[in-house]
Amino acid sequence: MLFSSITFLFYFLPAVLVLYFMVPAKGKNLVLLIFSLLFYGWGEPVYIFLMVASITQGYFLGRLIQKYRKTPLAGVFLWLSVGISLGLLGFFKYWNFLAGSLNQLGLIQIPLVGVSLPIGISFYTFQILSYVVDVYREKVEAQKSYLRLAVYISMFPQLIAGPIVRYSDIEPQLAHRTHSWEDASYGASRFVLGLSKKVLLANTLGELTQMFRDSGEKSVAFFWLYALACALQIYFDFSGYSDMAIGLGRIFGFRFLENFRYPFISGSVTEFWRRWHISLGSWFRDYLYIPLGGSRVSRGRWVWNILVVWLATGLWHGAQWNFVAWGLFFGVLLAAEKLLFLSRLERHPAAGRIYLLLIVTFTFVMFDSSGFMEGLGRIGGMLGLGGYPLITQETLYAFRSYGLILILACLGSTPLPGRLVQKAEEKLPRVVGMIQPVALVALLAGCTAFLVDGSFNPFLYFRF
Amino acid sequence: MKWKDKITLLVLALFIGGFSLWGTLTPDQAQSQAERRPLAQRPQLTLESVSSGKFMTQWEEYALDQFPLRDGFRGLKAWIALDLLGQKDVNDIYRVGESVSKLEYPLDQESVDYAASRFRFVYERYLKDSEGKIYLAIIPDKNYFLAPEGGYPALDYQELVQSLTSQMEYAQYLDIFPLLEGEDYFNTDPHWRQEKILDLAGYLNQAMGAHWKGDFQENRAEGVYRGAYWGQLGLPLPAEDICWMTSKMLDGCRVYDYETQTWQEGVYDLKQLEGADPYQLYLYGSKSLLTIENPAGDPDKELIIFRDSFGSSLAPLMVEGYSKITLVDIRYISPMILDRFLEFHGQDILFLYSTTVLNNSVTLK
Repeated sequence: MLFSSITFLFYFLPAVLVLYFMVPAKGKNLVLLIFSLLFYGWGEPVYIFLMVASITQGYFLGRLIQKYRKTPLAGVFLWLSVGISLGLLGFFKYWNFLAGSLNQLGLIQIPLVGVSLPIGISFYTFQILSYVVDVYREKVEAQKSYLRLAVYISMFPQLIAGPIVRYSDIEPQLAHRTHSWEDASYGASRFVLGLSKKVLLANTLGELTQMFRDSGEKSVAFFWLYALACALQIYFDFSGYSDMAIGLGRIFGFRFLENFRYPFISGSVTEFWRRWHISLGSWFRDYLYIPLGGSRVSRGRWVWNILVVWLATGLWHGAQWNFVAWGLFFGVLLAAEKLLFLSRLERHPAAGRIYLLLIVTFTFVMFDSSGFMEGLGRIGGMLGLGGYPLITQETLYAFRSYGLILILACLGSTPLPGRLVQKAEEKLPRVVGMIQPVALVALLAGCTAFLVDGSFNPFLYFRF
Repeated sequence: MKWKDKITLLVLALFIGGFSLWGTLTPDQAQSQAERRPLAQRPQLTLESVSSGKFMTQWEEYALDQFPLRDGFRGLKAWIALDLLGQKDVNDIYRVGESVSKLEYPLDQESVDYAASRFRFVYERYLKDSEGKIYLAIIPDKNYFLAPEGGYPALDYQELVQSLTSQMEYAQYLDIFPLLEGEDYFNTDPHWRQEKILDLAGYLNQAMGAHWKGDFQENRAEGVYRGAYWGQLGLPLPAEDICWMTSKMLDGCRVYDYETQTWQEGVYDLKQLEGADPYQLYLYGSKSLLTIENPAGDPDKELIIFRDSFGSSLAPLMVEGYSKITLVDIRYISPMILDRFLEFHGQDILFLYSTTVLNNSVTLK
């Protein structure tokens, strides 16, 4: 089920809110679990069993890891759990990619499997992995209640597109959490803002990128317009989802960590990845980069560690060669920055921002492509290769039709709107207090209008 | 708790809860008048429909279609997109002044080639050995006039005409582009207005050597016509007048419908003025094969028009010079079987197609 759907907003959400706040405290987790399973099963009923099986192995193996702590058996159970999790992820997400790639070499023929990718498997698998590893590392105690662990893994606000919530971050809230009107108001406002980012901006920018894909009159300028729209669409799509998840979590008494902090104002790729999909970056840092030795190793080994982490990051985003190239490219850039020119970028922030924006624009074109060669072709188009004209009638039309939205999206990707609201709140608190509810309900009405009329509504991060 | 938080929660809860209850409690609608289509109905909840995912897919459609104030929200979306966000179109529908149209670009050469191949099939099979003269006229869609005015992309019309005429060397091209202008079309519909194409009918008749005086009286139904684009845009546009031209000669005509194998008196179906699409009043709407018989027409002149829906409003104006006009719509009948119904014996032949159909010719059989 999509957050940005009439079914979620006007049927599912009211039902879960009414029931959740009607039942006593001890029944709230059960309500959350039941609705989370319904939410997940709405899209793919059959994969509920896969998720429940994953939760169950995490639960029992987590308990066994704790029981046999400080014995070799704990390691066995840890690797068993990690193996099951990665095995399922590997089968459903990477089998066809690996088999297809090997088959293309012509040395062997591996049969492909006709299974679709279970929605959100990358997200919930990483949550289970972090849980069992943290139990093994004795950072957290194994959860005795199956219900609480199941709620942690399957909680619908963050189930299918993150942020990747650490068990340690919400462990206390699974047992005891408080609910307040202030939290509910903040959560609802945050949800509506996230919904607006998704529906009004990301989806509209998505129409522009689709117009580019369908165009028979591409031009160099259209390639650049597409690249800009594409980067902004991905940002607003994913950060909008994270806002909705954080907002919904807050309504239900959970505090999820922020997942985006205005990544496009970064002055380097290093900074960008501290601001973009923070929960994924920190996950790879804690569960892959540091176990590999992090930076406390020889320079060669350190570069290797970075490349491994970014290869994994690329593959996490998708089982395609363009994602591999995308991840490795960032790995090379991060290593190069740290070794060669990060300090120079930090001394010249304006140059750093221009550099970052160019890098992001090019790399997100590769990210959005359906294959490596298509990505290369589009980047070539941006660079004037491929014999495209500089501009066409259709490109001009696209500029005129989407110009204002692009300007709004560019401004919205910076802290400027937030700062303006903050200043206004400080100077005119009563006026802002009166305007805010009206503005939020207007945004919600606008989103409803776009949803009722539109059919273009994919969540880009669902495919991960 | 701050009053601001209270009010924020209250208004959001009222909005979501209110529309949730409204949608749940009000009876479902069967049809959307604005969109001219049946609305999705509540799906059946069964184990099979749930396990296959069919129930969920159908429910999503149902929830969208039956949402309270659906047309109002669609209008709100159009207003936000066009007036607030400065977009030039909504779902490819755009407005220039009072007139609404749908983006149609770029030129689909394959589609034009396909149309030409279907016309050639007709020519090779039925017309080659017939002694009738063959003509081609291409009707520009509204974008030809509106797009340059509003800065919208449009087809390369010159290329389309050049391409089709070069592939139809057996037909004499009759250029009707100069006889039309933007005002000749309905504001809310892709079709032309019958009362505006009298000169065009006269030109075609005269070019094909048929007698034509054009002595018609205008009949008008005021404010009844909401065209196909009226509902698609979603904005509140005024309903239009629709006219139909009559004469003593037309009163004496009758129409044979090959589908129902019935004769109809007159060339107009005025009951359609009360229906969802009053344009259907011209020659009884979308029909695969019709013949208009004109007892007052020249007994030596017959015409067969291969046409799309534009032909429905034009043919009654042209019948004056002919004793019989047959209209063939090969979107609805395969040209393979035309000889079961028609005999080609030297009648004038007119291929009359709009650029919209030529650029989307997959529907031609």
